[in-house]
Amino acid sequence: MNFPLFFKRILAALACVGILTFATARVLAAEHAEAPKAVAGQAAHAETPDAHGHDAHGHGGPDSSDIVQQFGYSYLTAFMFVLSLIVASMFFILIHHLFDAAWSVPVMRIAEHMANLIFPWGFAALLPIIGLALAGKLHPWMPLTDWSLTPTAAADPSLAVKSVMFNKLSFTVLLLGIFGFWAWMARSFRGYSLAQDKDGAAIWTRKARFLAGWGIFAFSVTVTVAVFLLMKSLQHQFFSTMYGVYYFAGSMWTTLATYYGITRWLQRKELRPVILPNHIHDLGKWFFAFTVFYAYIHFSQYFLIWNAAVPEETFWYVLREKGTWEHMGFLILFGHFFLPFLLLLRIDTKMSLNVMGPMIFWAWLMHYVDMTYNVMPVLYPKGLNITLWDPLCFGALVAVFGWAWLKDFRAFPAWPQKHPRLKEALVHHEIPKAGQAAAHH
Amino acid sequence: MAKAAAIPAGVAAKADSHDHHAPPQLKVAEPPKELEREPLVLNNRSLTWITDAIAGVCEKPMPKWWWPAFILSAGTMGMMFSLIAYLISTGVGVWGLNQPADWAWDITNFVFWIGIGHAGTLISAVLCLLRQKWRTSINRAAEAMTIFAVACAGIFPVVHTGRVWFALFPGYLIPFPNSNGIWPQFRSPLLWDVFAVSTYGTVSLLFWYTGLIPDLATLRDRATHKVRRFFYGLFSLGWTGSNRHWSNYEKAYLILAGLSTPLVLSVHSIVSFDFAVSQVPGWHTTIFPPYFVAGAIFSGFGMVLTLMIPMRALFNLHDIITTRHIELMCKVLLATGSIVGYAYGMEFFIAWYGGSPYELYAFKNRAFGPYWWSYWSMITCNVISPHFFWFKKLRTNVVFVWIVSCFVNVGMWFERFVIIVTSLHRDYLPSSWGYFTPTWVDVFTFVGSFGLFMTLFLLFIRFLPAISITEVKAVTPQADPHHPLGGAKGHHH
Amino acid sequence: MSAKPLGLLAQFETAADIMNAALAVRDAGFKKWDVFTPFPIHGMDDAMALPNSKVGYFTFAGGLTGFFTGMSMIWFMNKFDYPLVVGGKPLFTPLFAFPVSYELTILLSAFGTLFGLALLNRLPKLHNPLFASERFKRATNDKFFVFVETADPKFSETETRALLEKLGASAIEEIQDTKD
Repeated sequence: MNFPLFFKRILAALACVGILTFATARVLAAEHAEAPKAVAGQAAHAETPDAHGHDAHGHGGPDSSDIVQQFGYSYLTAFMFVLSLIVASMFFILIHHLFDAAWSVPVMRIAEHMANLIFPWGFAALLPIIGLALAGKLHPWMPLTDWSLTPTAAADPSLAVKSVMFNKLSFTVLLLGIFGFWAWMARSFRGYSLAQDKDGAAIWTRKARFLAGWGIFAFSVTVTVAVFLLMKSLQHQFFSTMYGVYYFAGSMWTTLATYYGITRWLQRKELRPVILPNHIHDLGKWFFAFTVFYAYIHFSQYFLIWNAAVPEETFWYVLREKGTWEHMGFLILFGHFFLPFLLLLRIDTKMSLNVMGPMIFWAWLMHYVDMTYNVMPVLYPKGLNITLWDPLCFGALVAVFGWAWLKDFRAFPAWPQKHPRLKEALVHHEIPKAGQAAAHH
Repeated sequence: MAKAAAIPAGVAAKADSHDHHAPPQLKVAEPPKELEREPLVLNNRSLTWITDAIAGVCEKPMPKWWWPAFILSAGTMGMMFSLIAYLISTGVGVWGLNQPADWAWDITNFVFWIGIGHAGTLISAVLCLLRQKWRTSINRAAEAMTIFAVACAGIFPVVHTGRVWFALFPGYLIPFPNSNGIWPQFRSPLLWDVFAVSTYGTVSLLFWYTGLIPDLATLRDRATHKVRRFFYGLFSLGWTGSNRHWSNYEKAYLILAGLSTPLVLSVHSIVSFDFAVSQVPGWHTTIFPPYFVAGAIFSGFGMVLTLMIPMRALFNLHDIITTRHIELMCKVLLATGSIVGYAYGMEFFIAWYGGSPYELYAFKNRAFGPYWWSYWSMITCNVISPHFFWFKKLRTNVVFVWIVSCFVNVGMWFERFVIIVTSLHRDYLPSSWGYFTPTWVDVFTFVGSFGLFMTLFLLFIRFLPAISITEVKAVTPQADPHHPLGGAKGHHH
Repeated sequence: MSAKPLGLLAQFETAADIMNAALAVRDAGFKKWDVFTPFPIHGMDDAMALPNSKVGYFTFAGGLTGFFTGMSMIWFMNKFDYPLVVGGKPLFTPLFAFPVSYELTILLSAFGTLFGLALLNRLPKLHNPLFASERFKRATNDKFFVFVETADPKFSETETRALLEKLGASAIEEIQDTKD
């Protein structure tokens, strides 16, 4: 069954518009509605803002009228978004070396330059975050200077233990250390790759593999810690062992969409000699795989917290089921999962620019919604509240990082010139037509 | 279809350029000698050789060791069924479990076996989607293992109910109203398990059988005995190797791989829900689903190596299951073992970070409480032992690999024991703490389940091709019409 | 037993030869013919100009049935027919009904796939005139075959045989209808 192109385009656009309309309608409806209905089984704590029955543990809660906090939260949301691209690029490089993969060689430079945005740009973008955090504008519960005022373990054990990680010194040193490690790792990988461009020697591959071997461990730990410090800890009582994986899954999803877009764009320019249709298809498949993986991770987290109904955890989602946040949750469910899943189920849609083109922007929007859903309810518990800061911060960060990436990309050869797997990468694998087999490729 | 890995890259690129758009203007050098990929089938074996080598195993009389091995396994299996009869006729009191550890060896064994099964599906489905062609030498036996392991796993949750007839009768497991008209209730993860495990068993069987059809046809066509020809003929459904059939077949196979991939993730996720949806400290943690899946793959690959290394030696299959295959499996062990290690670490970290005193106690108690020995056995086997595989020398030493794979099996059994028993034996009220010790019935029932597993596996290698004949052929250069070994004469059409 | 000729079976030795042969037979305009190989050959579907396999539609139908069976079954049993509050959970929500519905989706998709495969391939078919050929036994081992049916309007005993010979067939034999 082959639809004409414009029909596919209309179908994809209609689905996007449909979901957005649905979400908007629900948002508007909710503003006029009564207090949100309590979910059966969680009725007991649906009314309380957090596990302990009060908003902010006596440290002064987040203040949504404070313009600095407004800026801080918007900036954090945008920052977590661009950090996703960097972190996931790093993972992409690590996995490329660990698996001795061939298909990813032609797009390697896209990833290498994106990972290298961590320095100096990632650092520069991090400094305001540290500043805001130390000024008490991000983690309102953080005593910062005097942890002796902290409630004792008996009064609030979840706060008492945090003094180790959340004092001025640890917070700053941990974040700077983690970013420093990432910068060093990204630099090394690109360095090996560029050196191999000159002589094609096996030693660079060996070095990269060695670094990837232990690097993947350091990477997974540092990503987890960074996400805890920056995002999860906005509500300090919350804990979820899945959270690091959750951020990672969403990051990979967005980043693969980004690679897809860049590859399609550069396919006609710098990358023309090395991009075959199967590379596009592979990127599309990975994007599809991470659509499912993200849904799996987020569903599992929600599902386990919902089922066990332990107040220490449910408060996090209870907050996010209030007001318009509930509809943002549904938007994530349908827009982050169902729409891309159903659209990309067919083999041929992963190759179609009419489907994938809008999908890339949609993926960016959905990931931004996801970050908003994680960050913003802390500041605006009543529901989604878009301020001018949101587009400003997002636009500024994306513009700077995009420009920096492009500058780097143009400064070096567009693909690893003498990569040992380049030859293999240029072997064409047949892409199954819709409804045709290719189990053994 | 056999491109990339199996043949020298230069030939492949040239052969391909005629009908695909490999960029002709780009001159790409060969990879440095030391980085060249090794072939999947060694010594350039012919198609005939592959058929003879694999089909020969189940056509010739079994070697001398087969009968003693079979009798021993069948005897052990008989012991298990006798002990189950004893359990059912006497009551669950013959096992050591009791308040507060209401689950102990029974569910440990269940999760252990179901985990073993996951390697088969992973190899056949996930590696198929990832175009990892090395899977073709090991997928058949691994899939068979999956089915046998699920059979072993299924026994324990059924018999642990004690009065089995209530479990099997309407109203508890099967969605059928009981005498009061009450239906089973679907808020219980135990019922999800019923659906997950039965679906898993069924789909694995279908997938395995689908893969077997062309090979059964090969055996049918080679059979010299009437009875064999009849049965292989019956089960091969009249397969001819028609390309019109292959076209549908390959599509179906790809779809089954696509279905099995989310299935394998879901099954162990649902098994982990048995614990994680509860509120028991040590059980309720959100990372359980992916962590259980990684653990299952880890244990499954452990078992694949434990069985495949002797099988390869006994039937002289070194050219098909090569050292490269073993090395790659070691790397999978290393990767999944590390994910499991991450999850152990994350559990501890969150126990501290979350600030819940009960949670923290549960984890301290795991490592330093009365069951400390089981915890540290688990850590040694699962977190430490795979890290030997950083070294190529050790990965290529089959005896060493075999020993480590046994460690992995032991470690993963301990993991489930640690999760279940250490979390249950001390919960909120110290007055109801206890200490679980197994009885001899516990121990020998578990040992007996290995008898069932081995009996089925020995029957499998006796009657069915333990390696996929078709798929191994398909990754050789002889199968590639663009390769000189496949008959290509420089240029065509 | 009547001995009606059904077609010509030509044996080829290599993957490249069978590929060439398939292309030539296709280009000669035959419709009722087939290729037999011990394993699927990359590109053969195109060489034979086969349409895309329809198996996927059976899978989708099976999956859809499975998912809605699961959801409606649980809704009917736990909310409609005998509502019973357990564990403070709602009587029905897609949330807890999801794991079971998901498994049923996969289960029925798999059955749908195999059902589609059997239907499209018209299997099982235990009797096949080709099995009478001793040579054909190696189609599942190491030889490659082309079979052109007499029922094809283009078929001609001499010309078709000549074509197959020209393509490098190592043996050509006539297949008889062995049905009673």
